[in-house]
Amino acid sequence: MNVDEKDGSGVYQRVVLKNSSPYHYLKVCLVLEDELTRLSAVELKHFIITGLKNLYGEVGAALSFDLLKYDEDTLTALLRVYSRGLVKLWSSLTLLGSYQNQACAFRVLQVSPFLLALTGNSRELHLD
Amino acid sequence: MSVFMDLNLTFTEDKSVLQRMIETAAQLGFSTVAINYMFEPKAKKKPQIPAPTPITELMDQLPVVQGRSRPIRVLNRLTLVMSDSFHFRSTAPEYRCFDLLAVQPTTEKLFHAACMVYDIDIICVSVTERLPFFFKRAPVNGAIDRGVVFEVSYSAAIRDSTMRRYTIANAISLIECCKGKSVMVSSAAEKALELRGPYDVTNLSLLFGLSDKDCKEAVSSTCRSVLLHGETRKTASGIIYTVKSCSEASDQQEAPPQSETCEAPPSKKQKSSVTE
Repeated sequence: MNVDEKDGSGVYQRVVLKNSSPYHYLKVCLVLEDELTRLSAVELKHFIITGLKNLYGEVGAALSFDLLKYDEDTLTALLRVYSRGLVKLWSSLTLLGSYQNQACAFRVLQVSPFLLALTGNSRELHLD
Repeated sequence: MSVFMDLNLTFTEDKSVLQRMIETAAQLGFSTVAINYMFEPKAKKKPQIPAPTPITELMDQLPVVQGRSRPIRVLNRLTLVMSDSFHFRSTAPEYRCFDLLAVQPTTEKLFHAACMVYDIDIICVSVTERLPFFFKRAPVNGAIDRGVVFEVSYSAAIRDSTMRRYTIANAISLIECCKGKSVMVSSAAEKALELRGPYDVTNLSLLFGLSDKDCKEAVSSTCRSVLLHGETRKTASGIIYTVKSCSEASDQQEAPPQSETCEAPPSKKQKSSVTE
């Protein structure tokens, strides 16, 4: 990591990442068939770990990831995972298809090596 | 880079389910989808190929693709599940109603014929059972040279863990054989919740042993080349194209009416007479 700051303007800060970043951040949204079902953060994390275990076994379930933020009303979560575990976590989210015998789908909204990038979504802009 | 496509949404009689699927696909960022009509000829009676429902009948207003401010394009596709060689009739007029033509061969002989001879666009790889045969280099390379594309669908892998094993195993053995070229990954979804976003599919394709580049091509440029191949099927080697002038030009490709005499495009069989 190399942070270089211009003297006159302390407002702007340029961050250059020389090596590939250690973490990746995912913003995911769980879509359930029955829209009234609510999950707590613990249940959601357990559900994701079950998905990892189904696809990759015990070794996959040992992959460490964090649930940084979770909004129960919209079922939207922010996950942090080591970059080398990104493909595993993402593919297990993709293949999760049912939660307690009801169909579900994880919509991966954004993936970025920078947490700051998840503050806005360029795909929600309206192009004319 | 070419746009994302999902050339396999399973047709259901229920219109609202189909509409939900198309809406979800547009929301996820797919610019083109194809509605797939599965057809399995029976040995006894003369097979009746289903006629596609026109897109305009299906939906009045096509949803706008996310981030592109353009309506989604919907095509029709026919998949023949073949267990005998007479199931495929190369000159059948019913095939012309569809934009894309796919076969799912169940024996090695048919697989060979599909790769080398049949005038088709897509060869489906079975994902719900153990492969009934091994892929051989020669026919696979022949198919790649002819522009025929192999298709792996992932929604069976979402439904069931046994199917997931077969999907991954069959996909890996295909990709080992074709080295990642001409592979297309599509959903074969039956409902909206079985659809996944294009980047999810790209990431999922990594599990099938595709390289990063091939993964992205599997949902974008390979699909585009299939569409173009499908268009050349209706023309004389892609050189001459016949358009009916009486109907107004439409952006959506609709199914042409079945019984029409002027709607006979010069097929590849007539190539020699056309070029003379």
